[in-house]
Amino acid sequence: MNLLKVQNLKVHFPVKRGPFSREREFVRAVDGVSFFVATGETVGLVGESGCGKTTLGRAVIKLIEPTDGRIFFNGENLAALDAETLRARRQKFQMIFQDPYGSLDSRMTVANIIGEALDIHRLAPAPAARRERIENLLNDVGLDPSHAQRYPHEFSGGQRQRIGIARALAVEPKLIVCDEPVSALDVSVQAQIINLLQDLQRARGLAYLFVAHDLAVVRHISQRILVMYLGRIVESGDAKEICRSPKHPYTQALISAVPVVDPDSKRQRIILAGDVPSPIHPPGGCPFHPRCPVAEARCKTEVPALREVAPGRHTACHLATVEK
Amino acid sequence: MPLLEIKNLQLDFGRGAKALRAVDGVSLRLEASETLCLVGESGSGKSVTALSVARLVPSPPAHYVGGEILVEGRDVLKMSKPELREIRGGVVSYVFQEPGASLNPVFRVGHQIKESLKLHRPTAATDTEVIRLLKLVGIPAPESRIKSYPHEMSGGMQQRVMIAMALASQPKLLIADEPTTALDVTIQAQIIELLRELKQRLGMAILLITHNLGIVGDLADRVAVMYAGQIVETDAARELLQRPLHPYTRALMHSVPSLTAHVERLTAIPGNVPRLGAFPGGCRFHPRCPIARSECANAIPELVEVEPQRWVRCPLWQT
Repeated sequence: MNLLKVQNLKVHFPVKRGPFSREREFVRAVDGVSFFVATGETVGLVGESGCGKTTLGRAVIKLIEPTDGRIFFNGENLAALDAETLRARRQKFQMIFQDPYGSLDSRMTVANIIGEALDIHRLAPAPAARRERIENLLNDVGLDPSHAQRYPHEFSGGQRQRIGIARALAVEPKLIVCDEPVSALDVSVQAQIINLLQDLQRARGLAYLFVAHDLAVVRHISQRILVMYLGRIVESGDAKEICRSPKHPYTQALISAVPVVDPDSKRQRIILAGDVPSPIHPPGGCPFHPRCPVAEARCKTEVPALREVAPGRHTACHLATVEK
Repeated sequence: MPLLEIKNLQLDFGRGAKALRAVDGVSLRLEASETLCLVGESGSGKSVTALSVARLVPSPPAHYVGGEILVEGRDVLKMSKPELREIRGGVVSYVFQEPGASLNPVFRVGHQIKESLKLHRPTAATDTEVIRLLKLVGIPAPESRIKSYPHEMSGGMQQRVMIAMALASQPKLLIADEPTTALDVTIQAQIIELLRELKQRLGMAILLITHNLGIVGDLADRVAVMYAGQIVETDAARELLQRPLHPYTRALMHSVPSLTAHVERLTAIPGNVPRLGAFPGGCRFHPRCPIARSECANAIPELVEVEPQRWVRCPLWQT
């Protein structure tokens, strides 16, 4: 059974038009997204800023209240739970944030940052057991357990991200939503954190929803990838396959825009014109058509559905051909 | 005479016992219409080096201990204020990482570009010239865009305005400090393409500061890699990317995941980027280096020309 199953999820934020206007408008940050994450699997979620990937990541663990749609965790609909049950369930899904500086309370010691999660879920009431668990967690994420009484500012960016990971692991979750966990780190430190996340996944059978904009990192860590554009999934499928032969014109452009180190690579660069349109007034038809290099007349009027074009591969493009 | 020549630049933050050396003996040469990439992580001293070219690092706290920065043969470190003003914008222009923070939010972008023209080319300070510049950097409908405020533009468009402003004075050297780091990949590709086009069309030299080795392959003729305030390797871009020689450059390239090749596990560089004031003794990379020997901790290795035009600060580069 799938650990996490999301059906037609929508998150709309109201925006005011003007001081005298009664008209209500909405930013459709997430607009009808369905996907699943299996136990022990990593699903990558990529897209540019403003595409709704962070909102989606937060909405599936109910840090943001979804406007519509259903979220099943272990087969249980999270929307139907009362506040107390939901809090108990939260033990099973945790989050790692992008900014290792902003996401740790600077006035708490590392032991208390990690211990707070244990206290809330009453996982280690005895002081000795609590101390031992914190030390084990620090050990597991590659930090010196004797540093438990230190404060976040005494650590480097990479070490702080390890603290954030230890905090997420403290309650023994099944799913961790990782929101850009390495993009604020120095390049030479990123690989350490990626390797750590993979080691922990193997040892503990964790599932990750890995939200990031760096396609190479997402491809490396994920089994499957979801590509988002303007609040919708435009392509999904096997990570290596999507990067090898993207079917959606947006995915093609996204992959071709990634700078590559190899000076001899003879890639054809697709340079997209223009910017990501406003999610308040998304273009009609296919939301990508104004920037799409191959758009046709029907792309301006008909919204393409996400359909299977090859086994396990879904693409929301009228022009994608079905492989037999 | 090279357009820019930095000789053994040494820069401290603070004085006396509290002085922290941020740039330690950096030497660079940049010929007219050449593109040099300065690659490094946070704290490597790349931005401070680049800002020093027009002496934009506030001093104090910065304090130039030694070296020379020759722009067209004249030492920037010995210049008077009026001379500096002539260099800033006149010969050397800058584009920074955050276009939103660099533009003035209360003035229309056309006005801000015109301001640069008034200073450096007063006769050309007209709407026509502003529109020509906006067109040059690929802004659609420039006639109406000159009346826009920065907040009405996207990040990519703001960066184009910044580049237009930098080009207004017709500089010989454009210094771009992480110009695409704050932008999305598709927009980043647009800006890189624009820089490449401008370089060919205008024949100006570019000093590009970045932490992204991928961008190096797209733009640079030559590369200098910095680590903890020093240059550890400098080569022609192609050669460096194909066959990096310094252990740091090699490790950095191997630690980045690729879009095509499949690796089970990334080769991570252990430890952390050393902080300013906490640089290790001897070779500064030795605590994280996979091939370090005991003698690496003793003395800072020299930057040696190991092959024609290839300089490496590591005696063990062949291992």
